[in-house]
Order: sequence, then C-alpha cells, then structure tokens
Amino acid sequence: MTYGVGDLVRTSGRDPAHHYRVPRYLRAKRGRIEAVHAAFPLADARAAGDPAPPLETLYTVAFDGGEVWPEGAEPNTVYHAELWESYLLPAAELP
Amino acid sequence: MSRLNDVGGLTGFGPIEREPDEPLFHSEWEARVFALNRLLMARGLYNLDEFRDAVERIDPARYYGLSYYERWFEGIRTLVIERGIVPPETAA
Repeated sequence: MTYGVGDLVRTSGRDPAHHYRVPRYLRAKRGRIEAVHAAFPLADARAAGDPAPPLETLYTVAFDGGEVWPEGAEPNTVYHAELWESYLLPAAELP
Repeated sequence: MSRLNDVGGLTGFGPIEREPDEPLFHSEWEARVFALNRLLMARGLYNLDEFRDAVERIDPARYYGLSYYERWFEGIRTLVIERGIVPPETAA
C-alpha cells in the first residue's frame, strides 16, 4: 500500500494491449485517494489466464468533474472510480 | 491499444435510449446466454476477467452491430473453442 486517504495521485496514461480497467476518459487525470481497500488479484493478469495473479491494493479515487470532462461537466460533480495501485502515480510524477 | 468496448464519454453514438419498465431480458435466449455464462464461470471454465477479455476481442467490424447478449454469446463461444470444450465446427 503506497497511498493513503487524501493523497493526490494521477492515473497512468498508458494504453496496454490487453484487458485493462482504466477507461480512456480517466487516463492521465488527477484525483485524490478517498478510500484504501484490501489487496485484490489484478484483473489484467486474471484476464490473461495467470494462475497466480499479483495482489494489489485497490483504491477509491475521487476526480473532479472538470478534470474528467473539461467541457461540460455539471458543477460540483465528483466522479469515483476503483483503481488498482499499478494504475496510479504520485500526482507530481509524469506518466 | 484501447479496446472497442471502451466508449465511455465518447460522443457521436447518439443519445442513450431509456426504455420504461425495461424487462430483465428481451427474449428467452438472452436469459439462456446469461445462465450459461454464470454456469461456465461457476464450474471454473473461465473467470469473469477472461470473459470480459473475450468480449473485447470480438472482430471490430462486427462488434458494434451486435446486441449486448449477442456479444456475451460471442465471448462464450470464443472461450469454449479456445479451451477445447467445443470443436470450432460445432460452435459455428
């Protein structure tokens, strides 16, 4: 577990050629850790048939609506997504 | 490679049609596909992520023309062929 509640993070902008659970509209976006969950097997590895997928901490990340949809987010919109640790970077770090 | 299922937030698909009192299934075969998928996962033939991956691997030229449960059926068919459960000629 690398991040704690309140930490600022950004999502990875990468576009891997396999099953991946960061939707395009959430890539390379800044958010804030809202909850830290248990470690769960990484879906990317499970989807590829890995018999022992790595266990990674899952986080609830909150994004301001304007960060996700710069044009047209309703005011005061906050978007929540559950994301695995390897999908995230510290906010200051470039992808 | 962004997969063709990842259309959240894209414009150009027109408005989302909302169906009042939408039934769980629109015909019986859809319920059968739903049940078949649950059964095959419960039996350990594949897991949910492998199923999602199989749906995302549908030929792009066909994907958008298929309905939701038609995509499920395609995903199931891909997996039972790849795992040698059903010979390809039978699953056609």
